[in-house]
Amino acid sequence: MLEFISGISVVCFVASYAVALACEVSRLAFRSSVRGAALVGFAAAGLVAQGLFLGWRAVNAAALPLSSPFDWYLLAAWLLAAGSLWLTLTLPRTPIGLFLLPVVLLLIGAAQLSSREPFPQSPATQIWGAIHGLFNLAASVSVALGAVAGIMWLIQAGRLHRKQPPLRGFRMPSLERLANVTSRTLAVAAWTAAAGFVSGIVLNAVNRQRGLLETVPWTDPVVLRMGVLVAWLIIADALAYAARRRPGAARLTAWLSLVSLAVLTLSIVWGVFGTTRHGMPPAGSSESAAEPSEAAP
Amino acid sequence: MTLALVGGTHRTVPLDLRERLAFSAEQAAAALMRFRDRFPGREGVLLSTCNRVEFYAAGETGSEPPPAEQLVAFLAECRGIEAVQLGPVLARERDEGVARHLFSVASGLDSMVLGEPQILAQVKQAWALAQDSRTAGPLTGGMFQAALRTAKRVATETALGRERVSIPSVAVADFASAVFERFDDKHVLLLGAGKMAAETLRYLREAGARDVTVVNRTAGRAVELAARLGGRPGRFDELVAELAAADLVVSTTGATEPVITLDAFRQVELRRHGRPLVVLDLAVPRDFDPRIGERPGVWLYSVDDLAAACDANRKSRQREMPAAWAIIEEETSRFMGDLHHRSTAPVIEQLRAGWSETGEAELDRLFRRLPDLDDAQRAEIRQAFDRYAAKLLHPPLASLRSESRAGPPHGLLDALKRLFDLKE
Repeated sequence: MLEFISGISVVCFVASYAVALACEVSRLAFRSSVRGAALVGFAAAGLVAQGLFLGWRAVNAAALPLSSPFDWYLLAAWLLAAGSLWLTLTLPRTPIGLFLLPVVLLLIGAAQLSSREPFPQSPATQIWGAIHGLFNLAASVSVALGAVAGIMWLIQAGRLHRKQPPLRGFRMPSLERLANVTSRTLAVAAWTAAAGFVSGIVLNAVNRQRGLLETVPWTDPVVLRMGVLVAWLIIADALAYAARRRPGAARLTAWLSLVSLAVLTLSIVWGVFGTTRHGMPPAGSSESAAEPSEAAP
Repeated sequence: MTLALVGGTHRTVPLDLRERLAFSAEQAAAALMRFRDRFPGREGVLLSTCNRVEFYAAGETGSEPPPAEQLVAFLAECRGIEAVQLGPVLARERDEGVARHLFSVASGLDSMVLGEPQILAQVKQAWALAQDSRTAGPLTGGMFQAALRTAKRVATETALGRERVSIPSVAVADFASAVFERFDDKHVLLLGAGKMAAETLRYLREAGARDVTVVNRTAGRAVELAARLGGRPGRFDELVAELAAADLVVSTTGATEPVITLDAFRQVELRRHGRPLVVLDLAVPRDFDPRIGERPGVWLYSVDDLAAACDANRKSRQREMPAAWAIIEEETSRFMGDLHHRSTAPVIEQLRAGWSETGEAELDRLFRRLPDLDDAQRAEIRQAFDRYAAKLLHPPLASLRSESRAGPPHGLLDALKRLFDLKE
C-alpha cells in the first residue's frame, strides 16, 4: 500500500482533473447519461490521489502541508477541487467544474514551478508560520471562489439581458445566489488576507528576535506583492460594501472579484519568478547558501 | 390477436364531436362496467382526456378482444353518438401498434404540446379506473406498466419534457428563477387582470411565492381579484410605492399606452435601494417602457421575449424526437417479446411438470434401493437431479425466449409438443 501511495505523482491527479474538465466542456456539445458519473469519478479520483500525495509528503517531510510553496499551492488546489466536487454533487446541472477546475490546474502548474524545499522551522515559529500560511490559503481560495461566482454572474446576467433561456444541461445558479457568494467571498478574502499579512509581520518579528530565519525587509517582493493584494482586497470589499444599496451593485462586485483574481494571479507570477529573503535561513548559517525560495502568497 | 385499440385525438376528431365523445370519470367507470358485461373475459382500459378518447382492449388466445368495429359501436353507444359518425374519425390499431401508440401517448409524443407531462398522470388514472372497474388484467397490466417505464425513460434519457413551452412557465422557470434563488421571501405585484396573470401566479405559488399584491385601475376589481388569487389589494394611485416594494411584477393591464414610463420608473428606482426587479410584461401593448429593461438591476421581459424563448424550447423538444422514438421502439419490441413469450407459458409448464414427475419417480426408486441414505444425502441427490433437469431445460427455454422476440414462436412450440408428447 505504501509503495502504491509513494508512486502517486502530480501527473496522476492532473490527468484526473483534466478528464473531469473535459467532461464538463462536453456538456456544451452533447448529452450523455454516463457523463455525470464519469465527471464525479475522475474528480474524486484526482482528489483522493492528490490527498494521498500531500499526506505522503507531510509524513515524509515531518512537517505541515503548508511547509513549502509547492505544498501550499497544492493544498489550495486540493481545497478548490474538493469544493468543485461537492458543488458538482449538490448542483449536478450546474457546470461548476468548468470554472473551478481550470483554477485548480493553474494552481498545480504554479506548484510545479515553485520550490519544494520546506521553510526552516522551529517550535517558536511553527505556530505563527501555520497561522500565516492558513490565512493566506483561505484568502486565495476565497478570491478564486469569488471570481468563479463573479464570472458565472456575468455570464448569467448577459444571457438574461439578451432574453435567452438557460442552455440545456448548463444551468447556472440564480443571480441572487451568485451575488451572495461573490460579496461574501470578497469580504472573507479581504479579512483573511489582512490577517495573513499581519501574522506575517509577527512571524518576521519573532524570527528577527530569535535569529531563526532571515528577516524579510519591507521592500522584499513578497511583502510588496502581499501588500498590494491586501490593499486591493480591502479597497474592493469597501467599494462593494459602499455600493451594496445602489443599482448595479452585483455587477460591480462581480467585476471586483474578477480583478481580485487577476491581482492574485499577478502576485503568484511575481512570487514564482521573483527572488526573496522570505523563508530563508539567517545569513551566515549553513542553509543560507541555498537557492532563494519563493514563498506562499 | 391479443391487443386492440380504437380512439381519436385532437388531430383526427373535430372539436364538437370530441366534446360529445369525452367521458367524465363516472361515465368512464360506467362504460367499463358495461364492457365487462358485454365482453366477459376481455380486458379494457378507457383513456379520456380533453384531447383524446381511446379504448384499449385485450384478450388471451381463445377470448380475443372485440373487433375494431364492435369497439367503435360500443363507444358510440356509450356516448349516444351514431356509430357511422365516429367510424371514419377513429383510428384503429392492433397488437404491436397498440403498444407503440400507448407508449408514445404516455411519453407525451402524441400530445398537442409535445412532451407535456400531464398525460402520464391521466394514463395512470385510466389504468387505476380500469382496476377499480375490474376490467384490467395481466395483458393490459403489462402494457400499462411498460408504458409508464417508457415514459420515465423518455423523461430521463431525453430532454423532451425538460424545456418549458408555455409563456407563464417559461417566465417563471427560465427567467424569474434565474434571477431569484427563492420566492418565499419575495414580494409579487400583479398589475392588471389579464388572463395570463393568474396562470403566471400559479407557477409563482408553486415556486414558493406567498406575498402577493394585486393592483388594478378599478379598486373594486383589485379587491375581487385579490380575494380570488389569495393576495392583498393595492391602490393604483400608489403604484410607485407598490413598485418600489416589489421584487417581481406581472403586468397584464389592457392599457393602450405604457403604464410605467421611464421617467416614472426613475422615481421607483430611487426608492428601491438597488434591489433587483424582475418585470414580466405580459400585456399587449406593453405596460412598461422597454428602456426600463436597460436600467441596472432590472430584468424586463415582454410577451415577445418569452414567446421567442418558448419557440426555441419547442424546437429543442422537436430535436429530441428521434431519441424518444428510439426508446419507444426498443420498449415496444421488449414488451411484444414478453407478450409472445407469455403464450409459451402453458407448454413450458407442461414440460417442467413432465420432467419433474419423471424425476420424482426415479428418485423414489433410487431411495428405495438405498435405504441407508440419511436426510442430508437425500437432499443432496435431489438437488443434483433438479440442477440436471434445469440445465437440460435451459437450451429449449432460451430458444423459445429468443424466438419470441420476433413474434409468437408457433413453430418451436409445435416442435416441443411433438418431441415431448405434450397435450393441448
